[in-house]
Amino acid sequence: MSETKKPAALSRREFLKAGAAASAAAGLGGAARFVPKVYGRARTAKKMIVLGLDGLDPVLTRRWMDEGRLPAFSRLLAQGGDFRPLGTSLPPQTPVAWSNFITGMDPGGHAIFDFIHRDPKDYFPVFSSTETTGASKTVRIGKTVIPLSSGHVRSLRRGKTFWQVLEDAGVPSTVFKMPTNYPPAETKQRTLAGMNTPDVKGSYGIFNYYTNTPPTLIQEAGGGGRVHDVYVVGNRVEAELPGPTNSFRTDAPETTIPFQVFLDPENAVAKVRIQGREFVLKEREWSGWVRVRFDLIPTQSVHGMCLFYLKEVRPRFKLYVSPVHIDPAKPALPLSTPESYARELEKRFGPYFTKGLPADTSALENGVLDEAEFLELDNMVYQESLAMLEYELGRFDEGLLFFYFSNADQRQHMFWRLTDPGHPAYREDLARHFGGVIERTYGEMDRALGLALGRAGKDTVVLVLSDHGFASFRRGFNLNTWLLQNGYHRLLRPWKQAESQLFDNTDWTKSRAYGVGLNSLYVNEAGRERDGIVKPGPDKDNLVREIAGKLEALTDPKTGERPILKAFVSRDVYHGANVGQAPDIVLGFNRGYRISWQSPLGGFPREVLEDNTQKWSGDHMSAPDVLPGIAFANREFTAEAPVLQDLTASVLGVFGVEKPREMTGTNVLG
Amino acid sequence: MPVVNLVFGRIVDTVLWPFQGLPPWFGLTAASLLTSLLMLEAYKLTSDQAAIRRAKDRIKAHLLEMRLYKDNMRASWGAQAGILKANLAYLAANLKPLAVMIVPLVLILARLGLWFDRAPLEPGRETLVKAKLAGAADPAALDLRLETPPFAEVSAPPVRIADEREVVWRIKALAAGRGRLTLRAGDRTAEKSLAVGGPELSKVSARASRGSFPDRVLYPGEPPLPDGAPVRSIEVIYPARRLAAFGLSVHWLAAYLVLSIAFGFALKGVFGVEI
Repeated sequence: MSETKKPAALSRREFLKAGAAASAAAGLGGAARFVPKVYGRARTAKKMIVLGLDGLDPVLTRRWMDEGRLPAFSRLLAQGGDFRPLGTSLPPQTPVAWSNFITGMDPGGHAIFDFIHRDPKDYFPVFSSTETTGASKTVRIGKTVIPLSSGHVRSLRRGKTFWQVLEDAGVPSTVFKMPTNYPPAETKQRTLAGMNTPDVKGSYGIFNYYTNTPPTLIQEAGGGGRVHDVYVVGNRVEAELPGPTNSFRTDAPETTIPFQVFLDPENAVAKVRIQGREFVLKEREWSGWVRVRFDLIPTQSVHGMCLFYLKEVRPRFKLYVSPVHIDPAKPALPLSTPESYARELEKRFGPYFTKGLPADTSALENGVLDEAEFLELDNMVYQESLAMLEYELGRFDEGLLFFYFSNADQRQHMFWRLTDPGHPAYREDLARHFGGVIERTYGEMDRALGLALGRAGKDTVVLVLSDHGFASFRRGFNLNTWLLQNGYHRLLRPWKQAESQLFDNTDWTKSRAYGVGLNSLYVNEAGRERDGIVKPGPDKDNLVREIAGKLEALTDPKTGERPILKAFVSRDVYHGANVGQAPDIVLGFNRGYRISWQSPLGGFPREVLEDNTQKWSGDHMSAPDVLPGIAFANREFTAEAPVLQDLTASVLGVFGVEKPREMTGTNVLG
Repeated sequence: MPVVNLVFGRIVDTVLWPFQGLPPWFGLTAASLLTSLLMLEAYKLTSDQAAIRRAKDRIKAHLLEMRLYKDNMRASWGAQAGILKANLAYLAANLKPLAVMIVPLVLILARLGLWFDRAPLEPGRETLVKAKLAGAADPAALDLRLETPPFAEVSAPPVRIADEREVVWRIKALAAGRGRLTLRAGDRTAEKSLAVGGPELSKVSARASRGSFPDRVLYPGEPPLPDGAPVRSIEVIYPARRLAAFGLSVHWLAAYLVLSIAFGFALKGVFGVEI
């Protein structure tokens, strides 16, 4: 059957703390009394709870507060609290914004400028936040590769995190699923990795879909899904669950686990057998977590866990299997600091979602899960987060507790279309059922705040923030197509424009600019890019100003609106040691607009502007002023328009910790 | 066999009964201690103590010989041959007591397995009930129905798997209790026990079968299914019980053997047994 939650067991360290005299009896139970404290050289009487509610929009929050639908937010204000729209990052993308908060610097300091950066050596898009390298020295024995050193996963974010600063000052902290904190920054504080934590394949999440009527999937950078065309023979399905590539083999094959599904000849029910474990699922039913083990060599395995969803038994067989999450009981990659924290949570709660953003937006986008099924899955994420928040609040007695919820962000991305009749993907039938999802989700975030307020003492500072607001994503802008049409980019084979991807058709010797990522435009600069042609200095500066001016002047012939409100010249807006790595122009879109689906990875569709017909319909790539986040606190704000970095300084300020020189914000909590 | 099972069952149950409310380590320690006492006595009575002592003395003497004559290759080789011979004599002297002890030990282990191998279902949890059909019966043609006691319910329709001659139900434990599952095929029935919740240490029988000799030895927890039963075996998939020790998860059998051996060596002097 599915995995069950296990009661807390006593770890070795906890046992030693309890004392040898009580060893026999203690080894038999009573673990809860010996929970270790979070790190801190000096005890502090001060307490602060920070809730990170990704994507909560100030306009919607205010509206639903006024309508009495967010009682905890209202209570916070009634208790002498304060509310401000929170200045977000440029661009207001999740990894950028949370990096601003983590480090107290803008992207010029922390060097995360976009979800996607590019390698100037080959113009190839790369993920901005982490870098994974294999073992530097290996020995080959036949077809087996023996690594002589370990591989590394490295965070590319620069700067000290605020909980490292607190650690230096002896203030204990628990930081729960902070986005982009993967791999977890080195610290003795208690932290659990958040967004960017991969699945066992090292991707941002690849689901598997087994069916005898396979659809075509829209593939995504770093994630998405895989369709397995299976046959139902004698009421039995034979299939394989893909796992990580086996780097111990010279040919690096993909590991797989065979499994069988036995269908009842009449009932809409099936038994699944995988690695000796069996469970029964009815149609439209989720399994609990199922643990799996991918064997690499006899002594090395990767442990993961996944959820099965039997979507349909007949007439068509449809089985969804979630991305295989890293098993927190035996993590193949770093999940927490200290390492034991992830295991401690597993002992308390059983298996839990470890992949960065667990909601499977890709499965909904591709119709593999429908709206209700997607919400069922995301509700599991929410319920789990709520239980873990309650657990952490229950033992929170000093220092800082940061806790993150991803649900509002993910659901607004997917359900905005059903609140916006002007959206190209609006469907009235679906809107009747799911038009209230976003409002209900805000209510769920309110419930989390209510939980925190209920446990917060009179002297506990409570801060609620979101990284950005939200808006409809109706129209997509093909930046590379615009550059091409305006003579800034050149193709080798213009007649193959629409098929171009990853700049495979670009004539770099004649291209002066290109777009990579969701908001970023780069000049093809001599000495920086592999085949750069624009001289740094006045030539480049003039080109940047010229392109920025033209982008800002662009109007959408369909709506008459300006898609780009502001084209920011990065040198003018960023500060810090890493401004040199920044894109040359950062696009600040207008409400309703965003970069298109093809342009970020070097595609050149025919049209400059196109309707967004996809389910991913809400977004936040706008100019920062358009989509601020929220800042609520049970204290007054001393600034009219605080920004993310100010809240970093404020967290340090609550504990009387001096902010490092490179942090740019100001303490705004009265 | 039923009488033997009954006797061993009563003995083991009586020993463990006082420990039901305590963590499993207490019962396991008591069982290990009693087993080691029983085995020491059996060993003493059935072994040739003089031969064992003689074999061990010879091994020690040859080890000393090796140390004294380490520069003399011929003497060293001779000593090693002597150690080998004495070892064989030691093993031969152990054959008879081992042959005598293995029978009660297997029976004790099978009974202890009922207490320590599986944990009862927790209320609210689901598990599978698997019925294996006899002969070449087609599960789809057989109208098998599962009836649960009031503290459990069937939570999914049966999956009938012709390939494996198996029918699987998913059941959900609603509340703590002890009772019987009833499997009906027309007027024929078969029963199997079901355990939900209860004391920390309690007896759980995972399988009921028609009663071949190995099944009766290894699954002594309930009477064999009648010959006219519609199925060959009924199994409830209970969660495995693991013992926690110093932050590690330990299988009960490993803990039991380590404890029994430790008690045996600790008490051999008291009972004057040469092992």
